[in-house]
Amino acid sequence: MEPLMGMGVLALMGAAATIAGTTEDLESDVGSQSNPNSQVQLAPQMMYPHRIYNKAISGEPPSNALICAIGGTVASVLMTAGLSVVFAIAVGALIATAVHGTYAITSYMGRTASQKRFKQPIYLDIIRSHTPVIMGYAFITTFCILVVSYIMVAVLGHPFPLALIAFIWGITVGAIGSSTGDVHYGAEREFQNVEFGSGLNAANSGNIVRKAESGLRNGIDNSWFCAKFGGPVTGLAFGMTVFLSGWVTAVFDPAISITWGWLSVVAGVVLVLLMIIWNRRIEVAAREAYGPYKEDEEVAA
Amino acid sequence: MIDIAGILAENILYIVMVTLGGMLISWSVHFVPVGGAPAAMAQATGIGTGTVQLAAGAGLTGLVTAGAVMNVSDSFALVVASGAVGAMIMIAVTMIVGTLVYVYGVGVPPASAKVDYDPITKDRQDLYVSQGTEGHGLPTVSYVSGVIGGALGGIGGATIYYSLMNTSTGLSQSDLVALASIFAVGIFFVNAVIPSYNIGGTIEGFHDPKFKKWPKAVFASFVATLMCAFVGVLAIGGL
Repeated sequence: MEPLMGMGVLALMGAAATIAGTTEDLESDVGSQSNPNSQVQLAPQMMYPHRIYNKAISGEPPSNALICAIGGTVASVLMTAGLSVVFAIAVGALIATAVHGTYAITSYMGRTASQKRFKQPIYLDIIRSHTPVIMGYAFITTFCILVVSYIMVAVLGHPFPLALIAFIWGITVGAIGSSTGDVHYGAEREFQNVEFGSGLNAANSGNIVRKAESGLRNGIDNSWFCAKFGGPVTGLAFGMTVFLSGWVTAVFDPAISITWGWLSVVAGVVLVLLMIIWNRRIEVAAREAYGPYKEDEEVAA
Repeated sequence: MIDIAGILAENILYIVMVTLGGMLISWSVHFVPVGGAPAAMAQATGIGTGTVQLAAGAGLTGLVTAGAVMNVSDSFALVVASGAVGAMIMIAVTMIVGTLVYVYGVGVPPASAKVDYDPITKDRQDLYVSQGTEGHGLPTVSYVSGVIGGALGGIGGATIYYSLMNTSTGLSQSDLVALASIFAVGIFFVNAVIPSYNIGGTIEGFHDPKFKKWPKAVFASFVATLMCAFVGVLAIGGL
């Protein structure tokens, strides 16, 4: 492929992946999934009933891998039947979304019903208002990941089948979403009642914020807040992963010669070294800006 | 009738390589700094997700890169190195963005609670751990450890894929790729799960005392992967 064309394709993939990452994180914030949901689940047991959607279908990577694999399989079948690519991907994403919506509702009903003894109500208006939002985000995520996967298979000639690539990117986007954006939801949004930057004492577990900017807080309020930082950085992370892992082989194409293949490896290692230095610089800046929590005492040698 | 002994004798090298790849994945997971649910609340050092999830996310990204390179090159070393690079990029990006969230979104500096001084930068750690937590964020030692873990996991996954792709078979190329990649993903998961019993939710990296327990997990992975390798090679070789 022409190098310029390759870069254009990569840019498109990176853009689609960025959107997928953002919506993946916001989907998990509206529905409260993955690790921060442990606090939403714990709150009623600590006598803090709330109006936050409580869905933890599974960890984010398996749940996203499921919807992406369903979407990829349906899209593959429809494309084999001769339907257009855009139609096949859209219908694949739609069916995956329907499955996801079913899981979300049963998960909310089941989890909340099991907390009856802690006087946690099941709010039907929360199901009606939140489930379409969850499904909407899941649709965008699945659609964008199918676009990335389809481009990899059809344009870049990746040997893996479409459904498997979609599955793998589903695992990856879930792993990234639960590692990055969820921290903003779990460590900041759920605990805005403690001072910013004071750290979260384990004794505060379960004492999540239940009052919103107006009225009682629900999952949509959480996604409004996380859309300002947690969601976009998750998109940045997934977009960078898809873009950079493809960029090294697009610039130094191993198909030309084995030397170019090794150059792509070197380029990847250089990128990683740069990120190690970047992380160190942020660490130093944070230590200087925030300072230590305790007074210096001599540590035992 | 499938000639089981014949297939095994012919592909014995690949069974050994798959097993080694699985053991490497098992070892690699110990390097990845994961804090599970506590880290998602900034109550433990590491990345705020589960062991299996993150190791699989990184390793499978490596597998995608390795698969793309294997499509155009026969060099084992290059395929494996590409797998390592893909996994390293994924985990490095995830950790750098994780650091951005911890520092600017939550407002806590990266700090380890397991050691008083970072073994790489020699920075004091214990003073920067907030009250009532087991550290937070990704200090340099955890970051470097995570990158090493990603690289080893990528090498392991790519080795498994390469071995299964070279198993002698009557399958067409596209069927072989599909079957080999699915077996590679499956074996990856088996070996990502086994170390989580050692890790028990949180590990900070190679400086964590729990890291020393790795030989047990690697031995368990040896047994489990050997069986997976027999099944994988027989299934692909018998078709």
